[in-house]
Amino acid sequence: MKRYLARRLASLLPVALGVATLTFALIHLIPGDPVVAMLGENASPADIVGLRHQLGLDRPLLDQYGAFLYGLAHGDLGRSISTHEPVARLIAERFPATLELALAGLLVAILMALPLGLAAGANPGRPIDLGAMGFAILGVSVPHIYLGPLLMIVFSLDLRWLPLTGRGGLAHLILPALTLGTALAAILARMLRQSLVSVAAADYMRTAASKGLSRRAALLRHGLRNALTPMVTLLGLQFGALLTGTIVIEMIFSWPGLGRLMIGAISARDYPLVEGCVLTFALTYVVVNLLTDLAYGLIDPRIRME
Amino acid sequence: MKRRASNVSLLLGASLVAALVLSAVFGPMLVGSNPEAIDLAHALAAPSRDHWLGCDALGRDILARILWGARISLGVSTVVIALSLIAGSLIGGFAAMAGGRVDEIVMRAVDIVLAFPGFLLAITLAAILGPGLVDLIIALAAMGWTGYARLVRGELLTLRERDFAQAARALGAHPARILFRHLLPALSGPVMVQASFGVGGIIIAEAALSFLGLGVLPPAPSWGNMLDSGRAFLLVAPHLTTAPGVAIGLAVLGFNLLGDGLAQLVDSYRR
Amino acid sequence: MCEATRRPAPVRLACLRSLMTGLMMLALLCGAAGCHPAATLPPGYLQVDIETSPLSLDPRFGTDAMSSRIDELLFDSLVRLDPHQRLVGDLAASIERPTPTELVFHLRPGLRFSDGRRLVARDVKYSYESLLAPGSLSPRGAMFSELAAIAAPDDATVVMRTRRPYAPALEMAMLGIVPDGTPVTVRGTLGAPPGSGPFAVAAFTRDEQVVLRRNPYRPAAAGSPRGIVFKIVPDPTVRALELAEGICDLAENNIEPDLLGYLGRQPGLTIERFPGTAYQYIAFNFRDPHLRDLRVRRAIAYALDRRAIVDQMRHRTARLASGMLSPENPYYTGDVMRYSYDPAKADALLDAAGYPRRADGWRGLAFVYKTTPEGARLAEVFQAMLRRVGIRLTVRVNEFGTFYGDIQRSDFDLMSLQWVGITDPHQYQMVFDSKMTPPHGLNRGDYSNPAMDRLVEAGDTTLDPAARRAIYRKVQQLAADDLPYLSLWWQDNVVVMQRGLEGFQPYPNGSLRSLADLRRGPRPLAER
Repeated sequence: MKRYLARRLASLLPVALGVATLTFALIHLIPGDPVVAMLGENASPADIVGLRHQLGLDRPLLDQYGAFLYGLAHGDLGRSISTHEPVARLIAERFPATLELALAGLLVAILMALPLGLAAGANPGRPIDLGAMGFAILGVSVPHIYLGPLLMIVFSLDLRWLPLTGRGGLAHLILPALTLGTALAAILARMLRQSLVSVAAADYMRTAASKGLSRRAALLRHGLRNALTPMVTLLGLQFGALLTGTIVIEMIFSWPGLGRLMIGAISARDYPLVEGCVLTFALTYVVVNLLTDLAYGLIDPRIRME
Repeated sequence: MKRRASNVSLLLGASLVAALVLSAVFGPMLVGSNPEAIDLAHALAAPSRDHWLGCDALGRDILARILWGARISLGVSTVVIALSLIAGSLIGGFAAMAGGRVDEIVMRAVDIVLAFPGFLLAITLAAILGPGLVDLIIALAAMGWTGYARLVRGELLTLRERDFAQAARALGAHPARILFRHLLPALSGPVMVQASFGVGGIIIAEAALSFLGLGVLPPAPSWGNMLDSGRAFLLVAPHLTTAPGVAIGLAVLGFNLLGDGLAQLVDSYRR
Repeated sequence: MCEATRRPAPVRLACLRSLMTGLMMLALLCGAAGCHPAATLPPGYLQVDIETSPLSLDPRFGTDAMSSRIDELLFDSLVRLDPHQRLVGDLAASIERPTPTELVFHLRPGLRFSDGRRLVARDVKYSYESLLAPGSLSPRGAMFSELAAIAAPDDATVVMRTRRPYAPALEMAMLGIVPDGTPVTVRGTLGAPPGSGPFAVAAFTRDEQVVLRRNPYRPAAAGSPRGIVFKIVPDPTVRALELAEGICDLAENNIEPDLLGYLGRQPGLTIERFPGTAYQYIAFNFRDPHLRDLRVRRAIAYALDRRAIVDQMRHRTARLASGMLSPENPYYTGDVMRYSYDPAKADALLDAAGYPRRADGWRGLAFVYKTTPEGARLAEVFQAMLRRVGIRLTVRVNEFGTFYGDIQRSDFDLMSLQWVGITDPHQYQMVFDSKMTPPHGLNRGDYSNPAMDRLVEAGDTTLDPAARRAIYRKVQQLAADDLPYLSLWWQDNVVVMQRGLEGFQPYPNGSLRSLADLRRGPRPLAER
């Protein structure tokens, strides 16, 4: 186990480096002159030269890359063009909100998927199965940008049960988390159902029955166990979608997180801030993938042997 | 039981997609109203006989805008999928056929791009390249090509060892001929399934980018930017949001069902 | 199916189960941690919803409307506007004009800042001098360019001297006063200095809220608010909801006209509408060679159906404007060239100017129009109307801070904004004089007309009221003829507030000064 852990951690650095490099390349791919884009066409030549120097854009690309990596290693992501504050600090202020949203979405997805998927899997072909799977395929087809406003109309404007936008407490978290987690819930539910259905046909079910376990209990127990690995795979694969989904959710619900910060930075052509936000999202994804891999190793010893 | 189930998905999916394509192609002509003609006197008008889906904040006919928006969604998605497919397949195929070191390097590169969340890549590219249809297509294509690259490479590696391929090699056929004559047709099944789900994803991604102001900008009628404009009027005119939202939902539903149906079809043929 | 799918050992399962539980706890914790205490309003406080964060709470810097509204409650000035648009003494008990180039102010006794310090003439002197210092980069510098010197011969006397006889001199005395020695920060973004106004800043969380508490050194009427929370709510639907649900007490000029119908039907709310001086206009950037052609500008003026916009889109909450000064202004004249909706005339003008229609309907004229999200809908209307005459308008929407930065740098072709709080026609000099380009002045479109320069400079130095009126009559006529700005409308002030709030005093410039004396019915403001 320890060797597996060590190996996986060792792969973290090159992947993180690769992702950081890709981010750097993207931001520096800006067509035209980024400084002119930031300051506007009527800026004085002195201003342009000044900002270019301040951002270090007048140095050779390799130097800039080196400075970028050095800064990254020390937690320095430069300064925002609009507010002059350190990018790292701005990101640190907003990141917890995004994390809260993502975790809440994950929670909602699991809580929704478990009863749906298990009920459907235990009763294949029956109305509950068709209903649950119908709901699932709808959940995956309705985009955040419609589901969010729809939930807002029903639960906030019509019923007045929940607040409309903003962050503030559990009540404020419900609608955004529901919107974010529904698509994942749908995928998860389908997978759970599949797992139960395939387990039902297996030989060891008869063994369990002969041991005296009720069919239902046996089904659930083995079905869940069977589902564990694919579930972890699925969560790992889908986490990227969940994380980037927060960007849209934050705009819909005026949630003060990293996504909203990034969109504002894009609008303001504040490229240092955009770079910092993109990097944060990407590296979070890398870390979560690593955690998923580690969870794999926990569940299935065979994987560790590879 | 299995057969019937796959028919339902396939049938339903194909019908929805067909309906979508037909509305996109013929709808605008049939409806006639100009999607960009403003009529302030009818701003936020509820659905009526003159305007089946009502009017938006500037009095523009929503039905017309939905139909024109279908053209944009379908058009963009098709081009993007085609681009991702071709690029991904070529790269994946190249890696598989070349093998060895080259294969490793290419796959490492694919891994790094995959380590980057797809939609984030699209947003970043859209932000950098600016507004515009071509830039939007590039940004969206960057999201999906890796999937095809991996798929094609994986399938090719398996297929390479199969009987007919070995037989062809034994008979002295050129690798390229093997690729095109034998292997690619065998691929088409899984690729079509992936593409079908892919279109749904691209429609949602394009809508999201337009919603964020990074894709198709007003007054052009994209379903995504219609949803964005409708947000300010949720309280007094929710129909501005319902129409584009349901349109996206149905379109994506159609492609998802189609993908499901195709997957089951392909599976049954494989066995 | 393969029999031995190795089942995970119980230990592993337990680990995973605890991981899941851990995740759930984390999410709940974050949710709980995210709880904001601001959900409850302190007793006796008023909540006013605003749509954007004020750019600065330092009166030497904020030129945007939001900053001005809040600064008025925090800082006093030597003089201020009364509800009839007249300048009356605020900190000054009396004012004299011994010579044409001198103004003498006698301060009232017993003035104090919210931190207890006495407010004396030296503070006034410092406020002006720090603003005018070269390094301050204050966008307000333009207003005080005529101030030659300011002196504080004793604690209760302030003497302002201008270089030459300056008619709008008294208007210069409207600057909020800060204590002597208050530093000038980068663009005034950080911190609010203490003022002598009815309130002081208790907290300022950018993009969230500005909390004001009573200035303890100023007497307050019984039952008046102990504090005000200006909550920043960018979403217009949420503002309307908060009003309907009684969370927000008052909102001024930030409710979409389409929502007024809905709010009017709420039994607990009352809507007050009164004429306003806020002037909505389109500015042309004269750096664009096409816009320098008067025929093009006039064509644009004829192409826009302003009546339809005001009647149908804005639901008649505005009056069509003929110029920067509204009829409430003593210098107003209506005898100016007007542009009614006439697309045929627009077409003719564009043809004459050398921009014929091509086969695709466009004339080869393309402009970039910049606006904020609130103005996006209007932008689309302009886009559609200009398209009818063959002009292509590209709309760029940015949040207010970015937008403001762009227009200060003259990075636009067309843009639309509002001038709020115009009193003295000296405003013309600040926006149309060719020397008044940013950052020093407000001539963002780089308009340059020697005839206008002569007139506005004469207007500044002519003290005789009748002569001055004659000059500004000509200025208004020239502005309407030459179109440096395209006049859109004068925005009515629309205030939506909880029924039972008494004492709100409407000001034509939309000032919220009367919030200090608001009462809830015959009873004082009670706990909620």
